[in-house]
Amino acid sequence: MPGTVRIALGVGVAVVLAAALAACGSSKTTTSGAATANSNPANANNGAGGKRGGILKVVTNEDAQHLDPGLAYFTIDYEYTYATQRPLFSYKPNDQTNPVADLAAGPPQISADNKTVTVHIRPGVHFSPPVNREVTTADVAYAIERGFNPHVANPYIGVYYGNVVGADKANGGPLAGIKTPDKYTIVFSLTKPTGGLLAAAFVLPVSAPVPKEYAQKFDAHTPSDYGNYQVATGPYKLQSDASGKVIGIGYQPGKHITLVRNPNWSAATDYRPAYLDGVDWSIGVPPEIAGRQALTGTHIVDGDTPTATIVKLAYQRYRSQIFFSPGSGNRYVALNTQVPPFNNVNLRKAVFAAMNRKQMGTVRGGLLVATPATHFIYPGLSGFEEAGGIAGPGYDFTTSPTGNMAVATAYMKKAGYPSGRYTGAKPLVVVGSTGAPADQDAQIVNQTLQNLGFQTNLKLVDQSVMYGTFCGTPKLKVNVCPNVAWGRDFADPQTVLAPTFEGSAITQTNNQNWPQLNDPAINAAMEKAKLLNGTAARAQAWGKIDDMVTATAAAVPWSWDNQANVYSKDTMCVNALYNTGPCDFSFSSLK
Amino acid sequence: MSSQPPPLLEIEDLRVEFATDDGIVHAVDGVSYQVERGQTLGIVGESGSGKSVGAGTILGLTRASNASISGRILFEGRDLVAMPAHELRRVRGSEISMIFQDPLSSLHPFYRVGHQLVEAIRVHRDVTKAAARERVVELLGLVGIPDPKRRIDDYPHELSGGMRQRAMIAMALANEPKLLVADEPTTALDVTVQAQILGLMERLQRELGMAIILITHDLGVVAEMADDIAVMYAGRIVEVGPTLALFDAPQHPYTWGLLKSIPSLEHDPGDELIPIPGRPPSLIHRPTGCHFHPRCAYAQPAHARTDPSLAPVAGQPAHRVACLLDERARRAAWAALEAGEAPAASAALSTAEDGPG
Amino acid sequence: MGRYIIRRLLWALVLLVLVIALTFAIFYLLPSADPAQLRAGRNATAQNIADIRHNLGLDKPVYVQFWDYLKAVVLHFDLGYSYQSDASVKSLILDRLPATVSLAAGAIVIWMLVGIPVGVISAVRRRSLLDRAAMTVALIGVSVPVFWLGLVLLYLFAADIGKFPLLPGANTYVPLTSDPVKWLTSLIMPWFVLAASSAAVYARLLRGSLIETMQEDYIRTARAKGLLERTVVMRHGLRSALTPLVTVMGLDIGVLLGGALLTETVFNVPGIGRLNYEAIVHSDYPIIQGTVLVAAIFIILANIAVDIVYAFLDPRVRYS
Repeated sequence: MPGTVRIALGVGVAVVLAAALAACGSSKTTTSGAATANSNPANANNGAGGKRGGILKVVTNEDAQHLDPGLAYFTIDYEYTYATQRPLFSYKPNDQTNPVADLAAGPPQISADNKTVTVHIRPGVHFSPPVNREVTTADVAYAIERGFNPHVANPYIGVYYGNVVGADKANGGPLAGIKTPDKYTIVFSLTKPTGGLLAAAFVLPVSAPVPKEYAQKFDAHTPSDYGNYQVATGPYKLQSDASGKVIGIGYQPGKHITLVRNPNWSAATDYRPAYLDGVDWSIGVPPEIAGRQALTGTHIVDGDTPTATIVKLAYQRYRSQIFFSPGSGNRYVALNTQVPPFNNVNLRKAVFAAMNRKQMGTVRGGLLVATPATHFIYPGLSGFEEAGGIAGPGYDFTTSPTGNMAVATAYMKKAGYPSGRYTGAKPLVVVGSTGAPADQDAQIVNQTLQNLGFQTNLKLVDQSVMYGTFCGTPKLKVNVCPNVAWGRDFADPQTVLAPTFEGSAITQTNNQNWPQLNDPAINAAMEKAKLLNGTAARAQAWGKIDDMVTATAAAVPWSWDNQANVYSKDTMCVNALYNTGPCDFSFSSLK
Repeated sequence: MSSQPPPLLEIEDLRVEFATDDGIVHAVDGVSYQVERGQTLGIVGESGSGKSVGAGTILGLTRASNASISGRILFEGRDLVAMPAHELRRVRGSEISMIFQDPLSSLHPFYRVGHQLVEAIRVHRDVTKAAARERVVELLGLVGIPDPKRRIDDYPHELSGGMRQRAMIAMALANEPKLLVADEPTTALDVTVQAQILGLMERLQRELGMAIILITHDLGVVAEMADDIAVMYAGRIVEVGPTLALFDAPQHPYTWGLLKSIPSLEHDPGDELIPIPGRPPSLIHRPTGCHFHPRCAYAQPAHARTDPSLAPVAGQPAHRVACLLDERARRAAWAALEAGEAPAASAALSTAEDGPG
Repeated sequence: MGRYIIRRLLWALVLLVLVIALTFAIFYLLPSADPAQLRAGRNATAQNIADIRHNLGLDKPVYVQFWDYLKAVVLHFDLGYSYQSDASVKSLILDRLPATVSLAAGAIVIWMLVGIPVGVISAVRRRSLLDRAAMTVALIGVSVPVFWLGLVLLYLFAADIGKFPLLPGANTYVPLTSDPVKWLTSLIMPWFVLAASSAAVYARLLRGSLIETMQEDYIRTARAKGLLERTVVMRHGLRSALTPLVTVMGLDIGVLLGGALLTETVFNVPGIGRLNYEAIVHSDYPIIQGTVLVAAIFIILANIAVDIVYAFLDPRVRYS
């Protein structure tokens, strides 16, 4: 299974690059150039045999969002979190589909009824100073319990740990459903048979141990400031003073993050090679500068999404220093299924068919960074092949990446518009994001709608406002959200489909089911699929659900993102595919 | 004449022109005069007659990139027009000094009066600050500023107008100049203060023996003080002569206008003051012929074509006038004016030109 | 004078409260992203968001929040804690202040070192080739976007990404106290970029002001005294011509100390301007309020300083 995925990906990348070259129209580059980028050593190995020592410099424009491992939930957060914290399981950088035991000593044991999950952890893992003592499963239990603490307010804890016995009333105290029979064993009891999903979710950083006796006082603070005083279990730690204080030392908000070796880390307990002596991370570097510093400097990686200019420059002149990380999320146009006119499935299909999805990707930077999507489970997730792989489900309205007006017209007719053009007078409310390339994509969508005869009222607002105010608030009745996107929490396809297309996910604020799809058949299928155990079974079931969602045309998927990452020539960057491709500090090394 | 020593200042055919965006301004147009040591020359004219520019040119104050200066200004035989700037600077404020119309704006508002006087001394004399200060106190006393030890540290705005002009005079006298150029020194002052300042200047001239060029638009001011008077119009001297001769038998209709337009104690209060009709001409586009003809009540058509030159009045070589009227006509006209008659044949012209504005 | 200053300071306090209130109002009345929602991130439940709102104190009525804030500021100069990093806003601002002050101070020195001589030469040699060249350069300096100029300088001279690697580039700022040489070299480009437009503005202002001053009667007096032309220009002309610039400069310094966002951004100098900008992006209200307050304090102080300096410069001005 994983093998298939990887082969499919390999093909995908080759296709993408060949097409990208054609799209770029560069006469100098040849297909052998594509081979160079594709055979990027960073992709081929896990960095084994790297040189030990040295400080890696990281430059980003963005600041960390959450320092606390109980809250980290963002690409930049993950970059330091997975180097400093050891959750029960995690991904090796070159395999974003199959987790490996990290703090855990072996695979999770899921009971036959799928309601009990047992994990044994490795002995000999120690917290960094000032705690120093060995990690026990009580620390894992506390880490998860504190996720329910309102002072911490972990956003995903309810989604994945919500079925743990006692979680419904949890507020930070011990959970009845988490038992630690001995120092190295932890047992989760569930109210529903969702052990498969729970086991998969152990890769999220909230399962990284937190020492209660040390963290309690910080968790009592409103909000908890444990993040500013955290201790580490990974090979690195945020630099701190003797008391453990990180803020102002290893983390200077908006300025700097400093990772140093965790003196208490033992290589024998970890699969990470940890070649580097540390990481010197500057925040606030303008994206153009950051990209150039990474491309032309020494031992520098750009920890952010590089700008289109930098991607182009890198692709043309520093081909070996750019990596397009496949499986970095999907992008789609959400059509509001709850209010006219897009409560009419045929109108939605017409829009889907008419949409030039490839052009939308071209605007983003071409096929290198945006593979035209045909469905929602994207490469690197289990279930991608089951959902149809690159080709997709093959509906008449999904097959042409450049749009097919004939099919669109046919669906318009089916929808009751014999001319093939919409005749309703009420303009559609279309809310997109400002800033290139999002605004241009919104324009393409807007134009497509107008081509079908729709009147439109296009509003472009800041992305946070687009999500937070307009597209996330059903009562505003936004008809079309052209700039929505989703990324997985981990390789399980449920993390991509359930929050975004399940009827029960519709909320009155902060809604993420943007099309407000509430299809009884799909809801029922999801309910069943959630309870499945075993990667293959889940991939099969969720692949089918993906097909069903696509069939509703509630949303028009147009990109499977390949996140670009750039770094210096003398840096052996091992791209963390599980985190959209930034260099994994625990595996990368200096040349 | 040839056996006498050369005059202190001898100006020959001085011309000052400024290139502007609107054209060339002929500010001073062929002026010649002399000032003897210890004598006072009054230069009289309306504003825009070139009298201030001419005076400033003596000190080189009109030198500028857009100015063209020709002729000669011989000061003790040295030509100030041709003199390099750095040499001329040494003459300024030491051998020749100047005071100006508005003492408030002529003093730097940010520096104490004493400081500005000390600066004037020390730029020409190698003395200590303390010595210069002592001299300043002395000078301020000399010009009649009470309590000079205290006043020395006043800012210009803390002094009254008269005191400021006294301070200016003190500054001008600091280096005992041979020539003082006073450009409308009393115009900005109250009448009573005017008299005090003029009195002061007379006294100082007597005591220090310097020559004065007193520039004014007011014939009354120079009447008491000047040995000679030059009347300027449109950049030229139109009449020049000893003060007595000029007051006794003025020759130029413009001079008549000036005399008639000032109130004077000698005149019967019932006499009408007669302003000179019209406005001073543009110095860029000057009238043809006699520059004064558009405003002259006695002008004849020919006067618009012929440009008069200075010529001595019969029997008085020192009294010269540039007028196209013949001498008899002038005498008759002046006599008529003295008798209180209105200027002849000019009603229409004067109303047209003087207008309501 | 003393009473005047006290009165001004009291009025300043009133102004500051108004500034706080205005910032508060803008933050609450104008549409901006909900900080709790931003903190919560995707997947967050309504409960999550409510928890965070409570944690941040955003669930209290606005007037209570305002009163609490005011009380903390007045009693302890406590500016609260960042929503984003939970760091004390006061510490963040104090941490950023040296960079901003360094940037501002250097830029001001360059304004003066470049702007004043250029202005004087242009005024004295009015309409000369030198004047025209200087004023053309000044016009470019005023017009060129700061960000663009910064990038061009970096691409040209930055040690890491420049064609002629001469100077430390973006992201190399270190505090004066930790390495004076590096501090100086890392700030050379930012100083020039920040100074470029202002130096140009000042050169033009000074040129105009000096040309006007040189027409004054007291300049004629100074010349008539026989002073050297240099003395006339520098001691008599410039002294007066600079005074109007003091007002502008004082305000500019106040504004600069509130942060030079664009320059700080392009060179990644961690100053107040960037702190404020990032806070706006993240709806990090306590930092926004704190940085606005600090900027307002600087501007108000600069205003008072201008008045005091003015009184010293121009003896005609007296405050009572």
